[in-house]
Amino acid sequence: MRYAFYLGCIVQSEQYGYEASVRAIMPKLGVKLVDMPGTSCCGFPPFSSVNELAWLYSSARNMTIAEEMGLPIFALCNGCHLSFVETKHKLEYDNELKAKVNEKLAKEGLRYEGKIELVHILELLHDKLGKEKITEMISRPLKGLRFAAHPGCHAIRPSRIGRPDDPENPRKLDDLITWLGAEASDYPEKIDCCGSSLAVASGKTVLNIAGDKLKAVKLYGFNGLVTTCPFCFKVYDNRQRAIQTVIGDKELDVPVFYYTQLLGLAMGVSPESLGLDLNQSPVDPILVKVCERAIGGD
Amino acid sequence: MTNNSLREAVRKMNAEVCDQCGKCSSACPVTARVEGFNPRQIIAKIALGKEGDLMKSGVIWTCTSCLKCKERCPEKLSPYDLILDLRRIAIDLQLPHPEGYDESVKAVVETGAIQQPQLIRTRNKERKDRKSMGLPPAEKPKDLAAYTQTLQEILKEEKA
Repeated sequence: MRYAFYLGCIVQSEQYGYEASVRAIMPKLGVKLVDMPGTSCCGFPPFSSVNELAWLYSSARNMTIAEEMGLPIFALCNGCHLSFVETKHKLEYDNELKAKVNEKLAKEGLRYEGKIELVHILELLHDKLGKEKITEMISRPLKGLRFAAHPGCHAIRPSRIGRPDDPENPRKLDDLITWLGAEASDYPEKIDCCGSSLAVASGKTVLNIAGDKLKAVKLYGFNGLVTTCPFCFKVYDNRQRAIQTVIGDKELDVPVFYYTQLLGLAMGVSPESLGLDLNQSPVDPILVKVCERAIGGD
Repeated sequence: MTNNSLREAVRKMNAEVCDQCGKCSSACPVTARVEGFNPRQIIAKIALGKEGDLMKSGVIWTCTSCLKCKERCPEKLSPYDLILDLRRIAIDLQLPHPEGYDESVKAVVETGAIQQPQLIRTRNKERKDRKSMGLPPAEKPKDLAAYTQTLQEILKEEKA
C-alpha cells in the first residue's frame, strides 16, 4: 500500500503530533507514505472564500503532483481532503473550468487529468486496513477507557459529493476506537462543529462553540475526545485553556488525542515518538494508565 | 465574481424553491450565537435580490463551514455555497471583511502556505520544531516565482 502523503499547511507548520504519529505507525501497518515534492496550500479556507479559480487551481495543482507520482493521495487534513474532493467533482462536470485551471497550471508545466484517487484517514484505517490488520498490531490494549469520537464536519459532510462516513450517524471513528480495546459511545453533540473556521472572524465565538462540546464530553464521563482533524484538534486541545477562560470553567479538563496517537500507544510505540508531549490538554493521567508513565510537566 | 454571477448561481441552484422550512438555521452553530446570521434568511434575501446588506454588514464572514445547512436542506439547496459566493463578491467590491483573509492569501501567494513551520511548546515548556521532531523539511513549490505569478494573475483577472 503506497500513498502520496499530503500534509497541508496546518499539519506541516504546527500540528507535529499528528504528522509524527502517522509517520510512526503507518510503516508498521504496511503503509508506505511517499512525500510529495513541491506541494502548496490546498486553497481551503483562504481562496474558497475569496476567489474560486484560485481555490480550484490550488487544489488541482497538488493533485497533479500525485498524478505525476502515479499514486493515490492520502490527505491528512479533513479540510484539504474535502477541498480536493470538491475540486475533483467540480472539474469533472465542467470542461470549461477544467481548461481554465489547466491553462494556469501550464505555467509550471503541470497538467490536471482528474484521475487520482483521494483517500481520507478514516478510509485508510477503517476500510483499507480494517479490523483484522489493526487489531493484530495491538500489544497494549486501551482497556477501561471510553472515548468520544469527533470525526469533524468535513469528514462527513456534504454527503452529496461523497465523504468517508455517514453525515448523520458516523461510525468509523467509533469502530476504530473499539479496535484499540477502548470503548466508544454515542453522544448528542457528536456531529457538531468545532467552530475553528470562525477563528479569523470571531475567535471568541469559536471558543464558546468548542466549549459546549467539551463540557458535554466531560458531563457524559468520557475519558477523552478523539479526532482525526487538525483544525478540530487545534481548538479542542491547543486552545482548551483559552476555552476555560472564555466559558468561565476552570475545571474543564478533557484529554484530547489524535486517533493515530492512541493507535500508536496501543501498538506499543513510545509517547514521545507520537508527539504526545505536544498535546496541551491533560493527557498524562491517560498515559499513566496506558504505559505507566507521564511525559508532561506540572 | 459579480452580482450577475450570483444571479446565475442562484438560478443554477434553483434557490427560489426554498420552502423557508428552517432546517438550515436550526442546525447552524452560528445562528444562535451571532446576531444577524441566519441561513434561512440569507437564502430568502438572496432570492429576493436583497443581498447587499448581508455583504455590507460583514455577517457572511461568520459561517463556520460546518455544512449542516447543505446536508440537511430538503430541497438540496446550499446556503453555504451561496455564502461563499457572497464572500467572493464582497472581496471584489472591496467591502469590509476580516483582515485574516488578506493575510492568509498574501502568505499563500508569496510562500505557498498559510503559515511557515512554527516553534511549538511542549507541556514541559520546551520548544520543538520539525527538525527536533525528526520530521523532514516542509514542502513548497519548486518554482515559487512561477507559482506566485500565476496566483497573482488569477486574483487580478477575476476582479476585472
